[in-house]
Amino acid sequence: MAAAALRPAILRRIRLSPSPSFSQPFAAAAAAAASHPHALARWLSRPMSSHDAHLTREEVVDRVLDVLKSHPKVDLSKVNPDAHFEKDLGLDSLDTVEVVMAIEEEFKLEIPDREADKIDSLPLAIEYVSNHPMAA
Amino acid sequence: MAFTMRAVKVPPNSASLEEARHRVFDFFKQACRSIPTIMEIYNLEDVVTPAQLRSSIAQQIRRNQEVTNPKVIDMLLFKGMEELNNIVEHAKQRHHVIGQYVIGEQGLVKDTASKDQGGSEFLKKFYTSNYF
Repeated sequence: MAAAALRPAILRRIRLSPSPSFSQPFAAAAAAAASHPHALARWLSRPMSSHDAHLTREEVVDRVLDVLKSHPKVDLSKVNPDAHFEKDLGLDSLDTVEVVMAIEEEFKLEIPDREADKIDSLPLAIEYVSNHPMAA
Repeated sequence: MAFTMRAVKVPPNSASLEEARHRVFDFFKQACRSIPTIMEIYNLEDVVTPAQLRSSIAQQIRRNQEVTNPKVIDMLLFKGMEELNNIVEHAKQRHHVIGQYVIGEQGLVKDTASKDQGGSEFLKKFYTSNYF
């Protein structure tokens, strides 16, 4: 009887730290653990969460440029992060829609029509993807 | 069955060229979004990439880019929609899809080059399109 009453009090005082025995072999985890133990604990306790999985701006720029370079009609020498699809790269409106669809496929997004209509240059595309919470 | 999920109902005619143009882009986006389904249904993973399919769809749409009458554009869109429905509901077969969209008309004509010895300019233009 007394034990049952004491149990919650005892449990409150026991803190189990997440044991890193099921080791994920990521170098980043080790580095994070060394520099910031709280981050490791958070990461181990929420391994499936996409809360902290943001894309860096550089990665977004690289991937968007790759998507553009793999389009057959694009001249590789003119591709730079400031290019406008129709004015600089010489694509027509259907090509622009095709490029936006390729970006949707690359980042696993679904862009609604009114937003997609506004994307007609690379800086806008990069900005849209960077600001999208679901970009993968 | 997902047979009639897409709208094959005829919507009222486009009021203007601008609206028809908008509908063409909507159709193109819808087709691009069904590409993963199509690749899975017909096992096209090793044959073609989604980017190539997108390009071939765009090429088919571009063939009619000179049309200016909104009603004609609506009719072409209806036919395109019907074709997309047929493909997605597996009413076509793999060789249809490969022959029409992966290889394209040029690919098939090349193989019959030997028969084409007396090939006239008229015939070549005739094979490519109705209007020349």
